[in-house]
Amino acid sequence: MNVYGSEQNSNGAEETRTYAREELRDRRAESARVERGAFDVPFFLLTLLILSIGVVMVLSASFARAYFKDGNGMSIFIRQLGFALLGIVLMLFLSRLPSTFYRRMSVPLLLATGVMLLLVPFIGIGKSEVGANRWFNLGFTTFQPSEIAKVAIILSFAHIICLNRGKMHTFRYGVLPFAIILGATVVLLFLEPHLSASVIIIGIGAIMMFAGGTRWWYFAVGIGVVAVAGFVVINFFPYASSRITVWRDPWSDPQNKGLQTIQSLYAIGSGGLTGLGLGQGRQKYMYLPEEHNDFIFSIVCEELGFIGAMLILALFSLLIIRGFWLALHAKDRFGSLVITGITSLLAIQVFLNVAVVTNFFPCTGISLPFFSYGGTALLIQLGEMGIVLSISREIPLRKKKSEDGEQK
Amino acid sequence: MAGSKGVPTGQRTNKIILGRTLFLAVVCGIVAFIVLGVKLYTVMIRDHDYYEELAVRQQTRSVTVSASRGTIYDANGHTLAKSATAYTVFISPHEIELYHNKEYKKGEKVYNDEPTLIARELNRILGADYDNMLEQMKDTKSWYKTVATKISAELADEVRKFKSDYSIAGVHIEEDSKRFYPYGSLACHVIGFVGTDNYGLEGIEALYDSKLEGTNGSVVRLVASNGTEMLFENYQNYNDAIDGSDMTLTLDSTIQSIAEKYLRQAMEANMIQNGGCVIVMNVKTGEILALANANSYDLNDPWGLSQETLDEIALIEDPEERSKAIEDAQHAQWRDMAVSDTYEPGSVFKIITMAIGLEEGVITEDSSFPCHGSIPAGQIIGRKTALNCWKRAGHGDQNLREAAMHSCNVAFANIGLKIGADTYYDYVKAFGLQEKTGIDLSGESGSQWWSDEIFTNPLNKSQLASASFGQTFNVTPIQMITAVSAAVNGGYLMEPYIVKEMKNSDGDVIYSREPTVVRQVISEETSALVADILESVVGDKGGTGSNAYVPGYRVGGKTGTTTKTAKEIATGVREYMVSFCGIAPADDPEVAVLLVLDNPSKESGIYIGGGQMAAPYVGKIMGEILPYLGVEPIYEPDEEALLDVTVPRLSGVDRVTARTKASELGITVREVGDGENVTSQLPVPGAQVAAGSQIILYFSETAPGDTVTVPDLTGKSVNQARNTLQNLGLFLDTSGASPAISGVKIASQAIPEGSQVPYGAVINVTLVDNSNLGMY
Repeated sequence: MNVYGSEQNSNGAEETRTYAREELRDRRAESARVERGAFDVPFFLLTLLILSIGVVMVLSASFARAYFKDGNGMSIFIRQLGFALLGIVLMLFLSRLPSTFYRRMSVPLLLATGVMLLLVPFIGIGKSEVGANRWFNLGFTTFQPSEIAKVAIILSFAHIICLNRGKMHTFRYGVLPFAIILGATVVLLFLEPHLSASVIIIGIGAIMMFAGGTRWWYFAVGIGVVAVAGFVVINFFPYASSRITVWRDPWSDPQNKGLQTIQSLYAIGSGGLTGLGLGQGRQKYMYLPEEHNDFIFSIVCEELGFIGAMLILALFSLLIIRGFWLALHAKDRFGSLVITGITSLLAIQVFLNVAVVTNFFPCTGISLPFFSYGGTALLIQLGEMGIVLSISREIPLRKKKSEDGEQK
Repeated sequence: MAGSKGVPTGQRTNKIILGRTLFLAVVCGIVAFIVLGVKLYTVMIRDHDYYEELAVRQQTRSVTVSASRGTIYDANGHTLAKSATAYTVFISPHEIELYHNKEYKKGEKVYNDEPTLIARELNRILGADYDNMLEQMKDTKSWYKTVATKISAELADEVRKFKSDYSIAGVHIEEDSKRFYPYGSLACHVIGFVGTDNYGLEGIEALYDSKLEGTNGSVVRLVASNGTEMLFENYQNYNDAIDGSDMTLTLDSTIQSIAEKYLRQAMEANMIQNGGCVIVMNVKTGEILALANANSYDLNDPWGLSQETLDEIALIEDPEERSKAIEDAQHAQWRDMAVSDTYEPGSVFKIITMAIGLEEGVITEDSSFPCHGSIPAGQIIGRKTALNCWKRAGHGDQNLREAAMHSCNVAFANIGLKIGADTYYDYVKAFGLQEKTGIDLSGESGSQWWSDEIFTNPLNKSQLASASFGQTFNVTPIQMITAVSAAVNGGYLMEPYIVKEMKNSDGDVIYSREPTVVRQVISEETSALVADILESVVGDKGGTGSNAYVPGYRVGGKTGTTTKTAKEIATGVREYMVSFCGIAPADDPEVAVLLVLDNPSKESGIYIGGGQMAAPYVGKIMGEILPYLGVEPIYEPDEEALLDVTVPRLSGVDRVTARTKASELGITVREVGDGENVTSQLPVPGAQVAAGSQIILYFSETAPGDTVTVPDLTGKSVNQARNTLQNLGLFLDTSGASPAISGVKIASQAIPEGSQVPYGAVINVTLVDNSNLGMY
């Protein structure tokens, strides 16, 4: 390091100039009334398409259980449809707010999330078989603060990365603030406990830091720390270690811990190439638990087959690639980072969900965006898409195009 | 890399960030999905069949549709075994748990399953154990716990009513089939029976199980995890059941019941202490017409034991020993002595020795066989003691026919010695006595013979000498009758069989049995002579088989009596084995009857020997089955006068007509009352009475309804007995030895002394010729 010390110093002046220029541009963008064009139509349409398929699949997956439980097979679907429509309104609304609004809201949102996470173990409620308090009961629906935490992390990290521009390679600015926030969040999540949310939040935080320019070898250290922590958790926390055993061999506990995985594999495996046909699935008849929640993709595979499942994954893939395209073309660093975060979050959720239902990863509660039943989760996901669309309005290229359009 | 080269510049930072974002785009947007695609491919395409099978297994409920088991018919198409619908009641603890106290809706209906109510009611209706049912209901993961099997349609209806009255979801009734045996114990050892799962356990039921059982079908339907139908799925898959094949046996239920009746009588009259069996065989085809063992049991309750046996077992204190005793008793009653047990045939085997000697030409009908009561010690090579004839005084000079009639041991030992051990042994094999007959019944045993080396040892001919009159070896009854059949049917050893035909459920004949000739053993001429000589044994004066006499029929046969030497040496108790093998008609034999009785008692008062104990019953069987088989009787003139008379219907006729009719039949009448016409008669029309009996006719009076005590008739002559009975208002009917033989005595009576019978009843007695007593 000493050998290169002089080189560092010699670059100092140029660096300072560059940062000053960028900072000035950002400030200007923030203060001035930015020209905002139309949002990105491909991204919007892909979102709607995936959402539509998801809602239809909720109908198919939930009908049997809803029928036997409430006598009305449509009850779950109608709620989901309502939230989907509400979510589209929310998405359109959020797409109209300027990105500066999100930047301003980032830190307050993070603090609010912290408070909620602090409260949820005490006044939150638990659900079904998991002995953890993860939800707030809002009366008409329930809501998981960890969902908000993901957005808060993305927005606040993007903001901090922009603030610490030029100093991201240092430990103090490039690692420490993020590590503190992530550490605090994970500690709070452990109070519930909520392992899957912790994993996702650590993942998304790491991706934000990676995209923001934190030095690569800090990740090597980070991965090492996570590996050690993971090893400790798996070996010393029975809650986690039993999952690993069941993951290796679901048939070791077929009536209990392995039940979901086994039934999920039956559903997916039954699908074959073309599936049993939409609505023709059999595993949803109370064989597969959580068939319209975390395991909805198993029903998708059973009914639509390998072809249908791959088409849906392809739509997700297109949406994610389009998201990164938008990130690369965003007007400023903040917007770019936010889109990268939200798109990566989507990718992580889809990947982990499908990996869990196929028993590629150990069983844990991760929902499939736009598919899994859950009112507030869907609202938040669509809200995130709204933020992406909001930033997409400020892409200079599109602005120009739309101006051209106006001239004609 | 940026880190190694120090602090990045602004542009480099942007470049790095751009690169990293692109990297994330590729990982998140492409690589991740390729990984998922590969994983989905393995589960959905590669392992598709595996998971689909497991999934379908849990999503479907298969209800078995039982195939109807084939019917077993006798030769005349009478049903011996058939399956009828029965029901199985089972509970579903899972459903009971589900619908218990929850008013859980299943479609439109509301159920409320209360475990104690279900257990109480099923206990009331079916007698099922209350506590056991409550225990079964605790296994709430189970869908199927059997409560009662093979219940009747009426009980099943009652269970259904309970179900609907109380809205019970967790009690189910399943159709099943139950085997019925209309004739009860008849031919039990041939037919056999099935277990609770309708799997053949004994006899034809076991041996032909795969043909009889058919193939079960199934109805497969999709169900939800809670057992209800899936909402939009009506998938049902029917596999029709293929019913089992029907079989027709060679067995004739009429002949079988005749054989069983006389076996039973022989067992009782002779006080047989071990067992007994009878086989009736068509000598020309090898068809088994009847096969019975004394140890019979009810096919409708094959595990049930006689009260006598149960009382005996109840005395055993150790519960383990007691249950073992029950099991042993069950196996004992199922044992088919006729094919599974061996015995020492004794003099019946002289038929075979005679046939061999004649066929080999070492003897002729006219050969002389002087007997001085024994063959002195030293005359037979290797034998250190004298060989005694049963008649120690000796039979004197005799030809072959006479030697056979006398059942002379000395003569037959000499015949055997003349034949020579090698030839004799070859014939023993040729007569099928060293291999199983191949009869299609389960559990056939082989015989026990000296080995070739020992039997044919030129330095020891004692085995040959003894074997010549049926001693020192054991064969099964079925082997013996099959060999005798070969000796008289023209010389053909037949394979005995019992299943004649099988038809599948469509009525197509899938199996049709033709008589199987194993080999020709002797010539037709020899065979005819053997049959002719056997007729003399029964029919001629001085024959030892005289008690098997049947008026009007040419019955031939041979007696057999042995002592169980090995057992006597071991225990010091002498036990006998008596038998008789009869054939008829002697000029063209159709049937053979072998009766074997194991261990008769002296207390019966009957001389222990095949001639006294077995021959009369073979005669009685012949007397009934020959007319049944359509063999016309031909009476000798002196025979006719001694025949039993069938009492005619005389009511309504006047005195003169009645007297005339009676005298035409060789009976007299006693007239009671002053009326003109007969108003009542004793015995009833159609009854058989001995020739010379006096029947009672009532004129304008009714026959008294008194009862009479049956007197002891044993030891009396025919005339004495007839008079004794006549004085009591009873009538005599005889069978067994011909009443023409001087000195025939009554050996036993069908209705025992001291029994109360109605006035005018007919008492059947068995006559024996005791002029010629001996162990032959």
